[in-house]
Amino acid sequence: MAAAALGWALRAARQVLPASCTRQVRGYYVDWRMLRDVKRRKLAYEYADERLRINAIRKNTILPKELQEVADKEIAALPRDSCPTRIRNRCVLTSRPRGVKRRWRLSRIVFRHFADHAQMSGVQRAMW
Amino acid sequence: TSTVLSTKEDGSTPSAASTTETASKSQKDSAETPKQKLLNLIGNMKVEVSSMKKFQQLKKRETSKQSATQREGLGGRSSALPKAAEDFQRSKPLKRELVEAASAVASSLPLNKEQTESDLLAQLRRHEETTDKQKMGGIVNIRNVISDMTIKRESPAQRGARISSLISLELEEDGKRIKPERLGSHVVKYQISFSFFFVYRSLKVGRRLNIFTKTSPDTEKTLTTASAPTIWDLEFAKEIAAVTEQPPRNGFEEMIQWTKEGILWEFPIDNEAGMEDDAEFHEHIFLEKHLEDFPKQGPIRHFMELVICGLSKNPYLTVKQKIEHIEWFQKYFEEKQEFLQEI
Repeated sequence: MAAAALGWALRAARQVLPASCTRQVRGYYVDWRMLRDVKRRKLAYEYADERLRINAIRKNTILPKELQEVADKEIAALPRDSCPTRIRNRCVLTSRPRGVKRRWRLSRIVFRHFADHAQMSGVQRAMW
Repeated sequence: TSTVLSTKEDGSTPSAASTTETASKSQKDSAETPKQKLLNLIGNMKVEVSSMKKFQQLKKRETSKQSATQREGLGGRSSALPKAAEDFQRSKPLKRELVEAASAVASSLPLNKEQTESDLLAQLRRHEETTDKQKMGGIVNIRNVISDMTIKRESPAQRGARISSLISLELEEDGKRIKPERLGSHVVKYQISFSFFFVYRSLKVGRRLNIFTKTSPDTEKTLTTASAPTIWDLEFAKEIAAVTEQPPRNGFEEMIQWTKEGILWEFPIDNEAGMEDDAEFHEHIFLEKHLEDFPKQGPIRHFMELVICGLSKNPYLTVKQKIEHIEWFQKYFEEKQEFLQEI
């Protein structure tokens, strides 16, 4: 647990070569889960408009229900990773899924580390 | 420091030479009238020599005189040697034809052949130099410049008015009393400036002075219609900028740098900074014109009107995006046309 939590020093995974491009891609995500999260974010961005429109048809009381059922089937046919709910706000440095503050995109441990070393602008230890 | 050798020197040397060659001269008395003309021409030729060269010439003359007395008794040779030395200094060689012609002319004359030949060659070289100069750009003749200037005559009344205006201006500016000496100098300057009063009726009147070279319109066109900067040009420009940039000397320069980079906003704050929406407000709000392809009655129309209402209240999308939104729905409903008709 402790080793995993303080594992930001270890850069384990390399980015997988996407199927489309042939040139060598070099990059380091902290782990594979982070990579998968990145892919989900990209797909969610691509399909965002379509999902919005199909959902507008679905969540409707005016249009006939048959049309809405068809829309249901259509949205289910979209790739699963295009769903924005599958995105997890992981820590940017450690890929920790829990205890991440949204404003800094950092997990609580990393945040504390940087704040104590005075590397977070405007952040101070609370005392009252 | 240029001195002009008078005709006497040129005249003296041929006369000195002629005294030695009286025998040869007596033979050619009959055909001397054209030759005398040539002699006069050569005699009238003026030689411009600088002071330094004159000293060199004097020295050389002394040495050459000594050598001449040692070798032969001819005194007319003295002037030939320094001139020959001068000629050797000229870099541009003359044409062979001219040289041959000069030698032929010299041989035909009764005077000292070598001296006349060298004189003629020197004259030819000088002529070539002047022609070259004129070919290049033309000599700026100060006489031409000044000839166009006319002196304006001031009437005493006008002069008095001018001086008074000058005085008043000076007092208003400084707020102090100006000494009469300073005033006098100003007045003198004013007069001098007025003495060289240019004729300014039109810019193109008068003789051309050939001071500036005329740029042809072709060169201008080629300058303006340059090809788009290549990647190498851009890279070079970037390199230069990176090398020449200095770290900011003070906080102001740092803020300027940040503003250029985009880190700092521009003040006074522009609420529409970064927004390049060219469309007017009516294009955002009145979107009913895009609903023409939809059926007038029915639930679809009702649905689309709601969509349009929502879009008109949306400030974040551009007009293009809104139109695309509506068009997507249109396409979707067209595809489902048969299905809808079953219902």
